[in-house]
Amino acid sequence: MNDSVATAPTRLDGYAELRDYAAIGDGRCVALIARDGAVDWLSWPDLDSSTLFAAVLDQARGGSFLLRPDVPHTVARRYLPGTNVLETTFTTAGGTVRVTDALTLPDTASLAPGRELVRRIEGLSGSVPMSWSVQPRFGYGARIPIVARRAGVPVAVCGAEAVAVCAWDAGHPQCTADSVTARFRAESGTRALIALPYAYQEPLVLPTRAECEARLDHTTATWRQWSDDRTYTGPWRDAVLRSALALKLLVFAPSGAVAAAATCSLPEELGGERNWDYRFSWIRDSAFTLDAFLKLGCAPEATSYLWWLMHASQLTHPHLNVLYRLNGGTRAPEQALPLSGYRGSTPVRVGNAAAGQVQLDTYGELLQTAWLYTTAGHRLDADIARRLAETADFVCTIWQQPDAGIWEVRSSPEHFTQSKMMCWIALDRAVDLARRQLIPDRHSARWQRERQAIAEFVETRCFSERLNSYMRSAGSDDLDASLLLGLLHGYRPQDDGRLRGTVSAVQETLREGPYVSRYLGSDGVPGREGAFLACSFWLAEALAGCGRIDEAVSLMDQLVALGNGVGLYSEEIDPTTGAFLGNMPQGLSHLALISAACAIGEATR
Amino acid sequence: MSIWAALAGGFVGTLVLTTGLRAANTFNVTRIDLPFLLGTAFTSDRTRAKALGYGAHFVNGLIFALLYYAVFAALDYSSWWLGTAFGLVHGLFAATALVNILLPLVHPRMGSPQTSAPDVALLEPPGFLMLNYGRGTPIVTLAAHLAYGTIVGGFIAWPS
Repeated sequence: MNDSVATAPTRLDGYAELRDYAAIGDGRCVALIARDGAVDWLSWPDLDSSTLFAAVLDQARGGSFLLRPDVPHTVARRYLPGTNVLETTFTTAGGTVRVTDALTLPDTASLAPGRELVRRIEGLSGSVPMSWSVQPRFGYGARIPIVARRAGVPVAVCGAEAVAVCAWDAGHPQCTADSVTARFRAESGTRALIALPYAYQEPLVLPTRAECEARLDHTTATWRQWSDDRTYTGPWRDAVLRSALALKLLVFAPSGAVAAAATCSLPEELGGERNWDYRFSWIRDSAFTLDAFLKLGCAPEATSYLWWLMHASQLTHPHLNVLYRLNGGTRAPEQALPLSGYRGSTPVRVGNAAAGQVQLDTYGELLQTAWLYTTAGHRLDADIARRLAETADFVCTIWQQPDAGIWEVRSSPEHFTQSKMMCWIALDRAVDLARRQLIPDRHSARWQRERQAIAEFVETRCFSERLNSYMRSAGSDDLDASLLLGLLHGYRPQDDGRLRGTVSAVQETLREGPYVSRYLGSDGVPGREGAFLACSFWLAEALAGCGRIDEAVSLMDQLVALGNGVGLYSEEIDPTTGAFLGNMPQGLSHLALISAACAIGEATR
Repeated sequence: MSIWAALAGGFVGTLVLTTGLRAANTFNVTRIDLPFLLGTAFTSDRTRAKALGYGAHFVNGLIFALLYYAVFAALDYSSWWLGTAFGLVHGLFAATALVNILLPLVHPRMGSPQTSAPDVALLEPPGFLMLNYGRGTPIVTLAAHLAYGTIVGGFIAWPS
């Protein structure tokens, strides 16, 4: 599918395909907009707050902001080049209309609302009848607001939250008990504007039209400037830049944390119960995140992220939680919401019980992240250095425990091979940091001894001579795509026979076309899931690492083509239908794309 | 009551307050680090920030002790328990308006609800009662400020 080609938007049972969503954001929150012009997801005031619009999780109760022609039409979309500003062009028999959507960035020229969604509607040709409807539903649809006019402007109020519906040349808004609707004609050469300023625990700011127009232009220019500052010049540049912009949407600017995805409970299986909340920051993703920031020339984001990582993990030190809240908090209690779920996929969960699991690979990720940071020329302060050394000490005492592994299985803990490999990485990086006198080296000898013990465990209990591959866990017969990370993070040299054998085994067992499954064994949750996109990118990168460049390039070409029409990826794809599954935009998918593109680019030089 | 007693009380009180918060920090009760918060207003070098922050924190401790002294003088009365009450108000002010509203205004590296792409904060915002820094933060912060107020009040009132 290519969104630059105009096609008619479709819905099934009221739900758009997940592939049909584009994301806009402002560094604090993210909105999803369907091809038919409906804003079906928006959490305010922050990315992990409850929602104002959640129709993607419940068409009837979630709330949304519809904006579309009243007559049959086709749709073509794109992001304005180098930005996270979305442009949707509706073509009808009677004319063409362009809608530009943005969550605006505050400027210094005017008093800006706390948050603001702006939709600009331009008549390009002919005359097109348009209709729009704002149905605000605070608190994941649980709280229906009171809608009333204030200073002539429809305002929806609910507790400490309020949103206004400001419209200019977009018809005469009619207020019902719980929504605001209007119709108008978009004539050639005319321009209309609808803005939703939002306030939380403060008075609403009602902007003027000129201020909204200026902020939309300012937002476009600011994103473009950010993109122009990116330094990547390798292959698949457009896909990498779009991934960088998608990743930037997930950077929670007030803290520097990076969310795993912008949404919660979008299903990994249609109608199934694999519906998780990903609006937290996973330690698992930290090394890829920092590596991507450094390779893209995002030094402020890299420093901010490392500071946040070390700050957030301070409360649990030396233990690491699997995930942390974007404000650094540790609590993420899981609960089910009374929503019907995307196409009946229930339960709709917020919070994530994985927060309480033991995941040993996180220690490797943390040390690898710090190691990457110092390798790029940055320094660690004494406090962070001490804590990293204590983390390495802690790894020495816990690596022999079973854990939930990188995929946070809800079955019994096991001795996952990838977890052990990452414990090896943790100690290996600690030894290197100590050798360079960047962290205290008092226990360096112990780290080396335990590193050797981990290697012996992995080599004797986690490797199958028959398959010439590492296995999912000690004594297991299953494969797991996360084993590719052993090669990508440097558990062994890239020419190591066992790692090469593992890459081949994963390719033969878990790959189907461009799709790679995480594993085929059980994980304690009923149902199946789609192919995991990050694993496909990891395989492409691993193939390049093994010197199989042509295969890597071929796979990468296929994967880049799998993005939706505006270049975004969810977590998974149904290999049969090509439908997106899971939360989106998914940080790990985009991180893996960036990493693979960079690695293949380096390998081909 | 004398200014010198207030300054001495401010010094000792700040010492106790800082040590108490640091101890709570070490025992993973909170992630609050007031000297670090203050120091990063001047530099993004973490080590230098902590050194500067401790200096700034002690200066602030002395200034607040002088403010306590001014109120005591206006009331023409001082005591350790009134100092404790001042410490409570001081602690609540610090945990709400000071670090959430006033500090972000002058702190170039601290996040606020208005921080947005493409900027990115180096310090996460403390949140109401600094709860972002751990659920134990309000308790230890208030306890530390109560101790500070008690000490300052006691010094100013002593030996009368």
